[in-house]
Amino acid sequence: MTEIDIHADGVEMVKSLCYFCHANCGVLAYVKDGDVIKIEGDPDYSNQSGLCCRGTSALLHLNHPARINHALKRVGEKGEGKWEQIDYDQAIQEVADRLNQIKAESGAEAVASAGGTTRTDDWARRRFLNQFGTPNGFHNALLCWIPTFMAETCVAGWSPFETDLGGARCLILWGMNPGASTLGGMHGYTDLHMNGMKIIVVDPRYSETACKADLWLPLRPGSDGALALAMMNVIINEGLCDYQFINTWCSDFQELASHVAAYTPEWAAPLTWLEPDQIRTAARMYATNTPGCIQWGCTWDQLGKASTTASHAIAILRALTGNLDVPGGDGMPGPAMNFLTDEELELNELLPEEQKAKQISRFKLTSWPGYTLISQTAKRTWGKTLPTEWFCEAHGPSVFKAILTGDPYQVRALICNATNPVNSYGDSKMTLAALKACEFLVVVDYWMTPTALFADYVFPAAGALERPTIVTHYGATDSLMGGSRAIQPKYDRHTDMTFWRKLGLACGQDPANWPWETEEEAYFNLMQGLGLPISCYDDFVTYFRMYYPPLHQRKFEANGGFWTPSGKVELNSTIMRELGFPGMPTYMGCSESEFETPELVEEYPIVLTTGGGFMPYHHSEHFQMQGIRYLYPDPYFSINPKLAEELGIEYGDWCWIETRRGRIKMRANVEPEVDPRVVFAPRGWWFPERDGSADLNNPFGCLESNVNVLTSVDVEDCDPMGGSWANRGLMCKVYKCTELDHEYKPEDTQFSMPGSSSEPGITVKPSDQKLARELIPFEKPQPEIEVPEGFSWCWQNNALYQDGTNFRLDESGWLINPRTKGYHDAYTGWRYDAATELLVDDESGKKYDMQRNEVPFLAGVRGYPGAEVAPYEHPEHLRWNVEAGYAMLPDKPYVFDPNSGWMLDPENGAYHDAYYGYLYDSATGTLLDENTGNRFTMSYEPVVE
Amino acid sequence: MRHHFWKWPIPTYLFLGGLGGGIYCLIAILSLLVFPGIDIVPQTLAWPGFIAIVALGFGCLMLVADLGQPLVFYRAFVKSTSVLAWGARLLTVCVIFGLLWFVSYIPWAWFAPVANFFAFFRVFNLAIAGIAGTGIMLYTGIFLSTLKAHSFWATPALPVLFTVSALSTACAAICLSIGWWPAEYTLGTIVASLESYEILHTLDVILIVVEVVVLLVMVLSFLGAGNKTANKAAHRWVHGSYAPLFWGGMIFAGLLLPELLYVAGEGSVASHVIAPVLVLLGGLLLRFLIVQSDDRAPLPGEDRYFNRLAKPDDAFVTAWTYGDNLF
Amino acid sequence: MTRYVMVIDQRRCIGCHSCTVACRTWNELPLDIVYNPVVTEGIKGEWPNVHRNWVPTLCMHCEKPACVPVCPTGASQQDEDGTVWIDYDKCMACLACVNACPYGMRDQSKLQPVLHRFVRKCTFCRDRRAMDPTADPYCVQTCHQKARIFGDLDDPNSEVSKLIGSVETTRLMEDLGTEPQIYYIPDLGGKA
Repeated sequence: MTEIDIHADGVEMVKSLCYFCHANCGVLAYVKDGDVIKIEGDPDYSNQSGLCCRGTSALLHLNHPARINHALKRVGEKGEGKWEQIDYDQAIQEVADRLNQIKAESGAEAVASAGGTTRTDDWARRRFLNQFGTPNGFHNALLCWIPTFMAETCVAGWSPFETDLGGARCLILWGMNPGASTLGGMHGYTDLHMNGMKIIVVDPRYSETACKADLWLPLRPGSDGALALAMMNVIINEGLCDYQFINTWCSDFQELASHVAAYTPEWAAPLTWLEPDQIRTAARMYATNTPGCIQWGCTWDQLGKASTTASHAIAILRALTGNLDVPGGDGMPGPAMNFLTDEELELNELLPEEQKAKQISRFKLTSWPGYTLISQTAKRTWGKTLPTEWFCEAHGPSVFKAILTGDPYQVRALICNATNPVNSYGDSKMTLAALKACEFLVVVDYWMTPTALFADYVFPAAGALERPTIVTHYGATDSLMGGSRAIQPKYDRHTDMTFWRKLGLACGQDPANWPWETEEEAYFNLMQGLGLPISCYDDFVTYFRMYYPPLHQRKFEANGGFWTPSGKVELNSTIMRELGFPGMPTYMGCSESEFETPELVEEYPIVLTTGGGFMPYHHSEHFQMQGIRYLYPDPYFSINPKLAEELGIEYGDWCWIETRRGRIKMRANVEPEVDPRVVFAPRGWWFPERDGSADLNNPFGCLESNVNVLTSVDVEDCDPMGGSWANRGLMCKVYKCTELDHEYKPEDTQFSMPGSSSEPGITVKPSDQKLARELIPFEKPQPEIEVPEGFSWCWQNNALYQDGTNFRLDESGWLINPRTKGYHDAYTGWRYDAATELLVDDESGKKYDMQRNEVPFLAGVRGYPGAEVAPYEHPEHLRWNVEAGYAMLPDKPYVFDPNSGWMLDPENGAYHDAYYGYLYDSATGTLLDENTGNRFTMSYEPVVE
Repeated sequence: MRHHFWKWPIPTYLFLGGLGGGIYCLIAILSLLVFPGIDIVPQTLAWPGFIAIVALGFGCLMLVADLGQPLVFYRAFVKSTSVLAWGARLLTVCVIFGLLWFVSYIPWAWFAPVANFFAFFRVFNLAIAGIAGTGIMLYTGIFLSTLKAHSFWATPALPVLFTVSALSTACAAICLSIGWWPAEYTLGTIVASLESYEILHTLDVILIVVEVVVLLVMVLSFLGAGNKTANKAAHRWVHGSYAPLFWGGMIFAGLLLPELLYVAGEGSVASHVIAPVLVLLGGLLLRFLIVQSDDRAPLPGEDRYFNRLAKPDDAFVTAWTYGDNLF
Repeated sequence: MTRYVMVIDQRRCIGCHSCTVACRTWNELPLDIVYNPVVTEGIKGEWPNVHRNWVPTLCMHCEKPACVPVCPTGASQQDEDGTVWIDYDKCMACLACVNACPYGMRDQSKLQPVLHRFVRKCTFCRDRRAMDPTADPYCVQTCHQKARIFGDLDDPNSEVSKLIGSVETTRLMEDLGTEPQIYYIPDLGGKA
């Protein structure tokens, strides 16, 4: 029953984007008198009017009584929950002063910043951090795509993440459940599936997506790497590879073939709990139904030790089957060539090298060492690169540990933007302790989260309808989509970009580096290169809404190779080897399992898997939203009826789930959704309805039902390459809460390092912990050729690249710009313009001849000063002016243009005829004698007025 | 499965309605058919008639109290086709005409003009009240049995059961209250009371037997055959959670024991007081058990779905009120 | 004539409950009212040979509704196009209809003031369609999977007519004779 008429007069429709997960569905907001009265899904957007539980509750979110609406300054003790509402700008200035003080005392690196998922304009954060001088920005990126992206980029030069499903015959959804996480995508999969595309789902859970699959592989949680390697073995052994592609575009195939010879389906069967034939069926289905796609799945980045090994192996599967960047395959968009990428907005050049070295991370692939190599290659091959946000970050858990231990140095201040690390990062007990211990904590959020509770300042964030949105997939793709701001932020809420900009200016950063006051200005600026007929960002949304470059597949052919250092798909990655990792995926098991730690399994016999998205929540969000929570008020974990019976557990019973690190409480959802050896627990739970300050051991119940209490972020449990920690394949035990053992106790909340529930306290310093796999020493070959100054030698392809520009020095002696494939002069960098056969200095616009002498241009006409005779034919009555280098009329300053046959006025570019110098009037098509005012036709007949 | 929408007022009303309707039905039969023209008989039945009015009135109150919008109960009189609307009208008619009939027996001197006026219409009023009472008695069972969603109700045995039970409880109630004020304490009224009492007593002895048979036939037939839903409910009655109430409360204490006391305790307090009270309580219990057995064939997985939903008093439901901003 | 029906394609439904929440927000329902629960059939079978079917429900807008004739006030009624709805101004919440509905699709909110309750249920977004005759019910509009399809069964060219004509459909509790107007295309779980 609604009285609200969205078709009434005075109601304006604004094309907006949903902001509750990064699917960013199109939303039509109906605005009346500055307030949104209703929303609907946009039928003309990719979601085809679909909106999920979260999106459809946007109005409830906008006006939720628990939203933070004003800047809050702590007035009581930390965690006491006593706040004073203060002016936003005043709060910003106070925070800035404190940050500057900490920087002066301890260095900029003592200030860190945590983020959540891609829900913020993070280029603005990095812009702030780079100017401030700290390398310690981070997100939960290591659990979400980034290690995979980096591994894939090492193999083929970019992540092949843009599936071209329309032409695909087979799709693998691997550790991905779009049925609960990306509904817009699921719609497309369902359509295609009903039209005959094969869908293989790899998931230990009978997920929403698995229900609809052609082939479902319910593997042991955490064994994805073994499965991928065995599939690779089958594809190679059974000759199902795309040999033509491999021969032309891949390197080291034979090495790979012998490397994976041992990884047979029989080898993988006990590890994955699958039958060898299931693995063969899957491998054959994928390899024979080409082109096909493998959709990236979050699982790959949540396997802990085995993470990047798995995604590395999967990256190679795509290459072996020839599915890279082909129609119907996995498209590699590359960075945006014609609008500004996030990286170009980050001001990375302002962060000094010595500060980069201080970044807190021992995981090279996803921090400055790996990023530098990958980014250098990207610049050398694409001409643009990945943003440092997401792709080059500190290791979040290590920063939290640094706050607690001062190892490697004391981190004193933390700015949390759009994240509640207690619930979303690993080892929650340690993380909570770190947030409590943090000397200066600033939080920007929608809600009073367990994290915000301990903040010194809390800033209100503007939400979905209160901000314009632009979607560029972490700044890693060449398309963009946009949505407008439906209404100005309510109360004293501000957008993220505004927060960072204001903070930057208050810290004393150069206003020239913060030129855009609003997102609309910033976005409009970034899309200048598209050349669209728009005069502001909202025009773009109104008239275009999205920009896709013309679909260019098989770009590697036009490019003359893949975007790796060698130009080939590197089946034995050189970048990985240079970083000290195996160049080919080399099996690694989980941190704990019946194979790796049999002694542990006696006490913790059940495999726990978690981290997957589940409707209707997103990460640790939306527990405040009553309309949503009503459907799913308590945390439920899934347990097979067989196991439940063994353990005496019935549907709805509250149970303890315990790992070595601690225990949590959830209710049992008893149904055959998982293997009898497995339980599946949802992520993120906390209880915002409670009084957070009532129990500071467990504020808002943030530890009580939070699976991250059970995870480990110890260095040896993390992926040695990317730094991911494990949400999948942990060992646990499950038992019913009894009357005597029902409450979450203070001892349940004690943290330890390394994570253990039996020995609280810090026993091992993080820097003393070992990597899960020792780095393999790599000796970079010495240059075989002489390297001129200002150039670097690339050992992989024996080429020289100019420092700074990253242009390749060609054998011809010219520099080649990877983006344009254009030639540049090796000494000056000036671009060779083939049309004029001149060198162009794009910065000044000046042009030079091959002798690097400046070539004058008047009114766009080239002059040949000093030439004795004209190098082109001109009407005989014109006089060759040797000094100026132009053919001219005796009494006029006009210069002859050999291309058009007209005389041009250097002053204003106006056209004059070559005989009398009369001005051509395009309006009337006549010639005008400016001296007399007489007019003539083109054949010099006087025009009679 | 979502059910139990009707709370305690409804079974209470069903009981009281049946009781009141049954009393007027019996008063009318006794006064107009069994002892026509003997004015002393209805006089002894005036007090039971008053009790019936109170029962119907209180029942009405229950019914209205259970409405989501009690103040607009009159809307029930607007539309004519539904069983419920007819029930409401019968109820009103019965109460009004029963009251008019009753007031004609009030012996207060100052009230005489009114009483005398209505004394003229006694037969007419009682006939109307009796017919309406019969209707009430019948419609409660008929109404429930038309709700096909609940297979335990959707049986022709239910209206029979409710009618028999209504009559039985009415017998018991009349037996308990016959011959009181405003009947004068004279030999005539004592004789008339005893005559009526004997008839009702005998009737109730028979009705109880009939009720036991109908009840067992209904419940046991569901137990043997019937659809899953009714079967499930019947199992609950026979050997499930309702079994103690059904066998101990309903069958034994509400039917067999009073029958035994009626027959074996002839003339004792047990027969005159305890047995009818037990019958009345048994009748009330029957309505509760029946109304509680509103099982619906569940949609697939419905129980699990609704089980998991939040409760209206969950902390997160009450924690925030839109408009009251915290920060 | 117009005969509104809904086809629910269970082959497409993935149990996201978006329709439920969308309905609540669009219709501004009290928390304890759910017009269109998505219930689940299963998971049946033994691991890993299991099958599950989601059953999105709503008022069945029966051709012969059980809820309308029992209404003592005439609040419950049926439009010519088949839409069954409640005139809230006439309802006194006696709950006769609530008990009459075999699908359990009607209820009153206990979160409303005691003296001002009325029975509610799905109306195929009757008021939304009144404001814009081309609009679908909101649950249909919001469904990412396009598992809910709404239309006129009397129009042979409508999507619902074509679907009902070409694919085998079932209805819930057909034996009760209420002629429900929600047609289901079951997901039979045909795995390759």
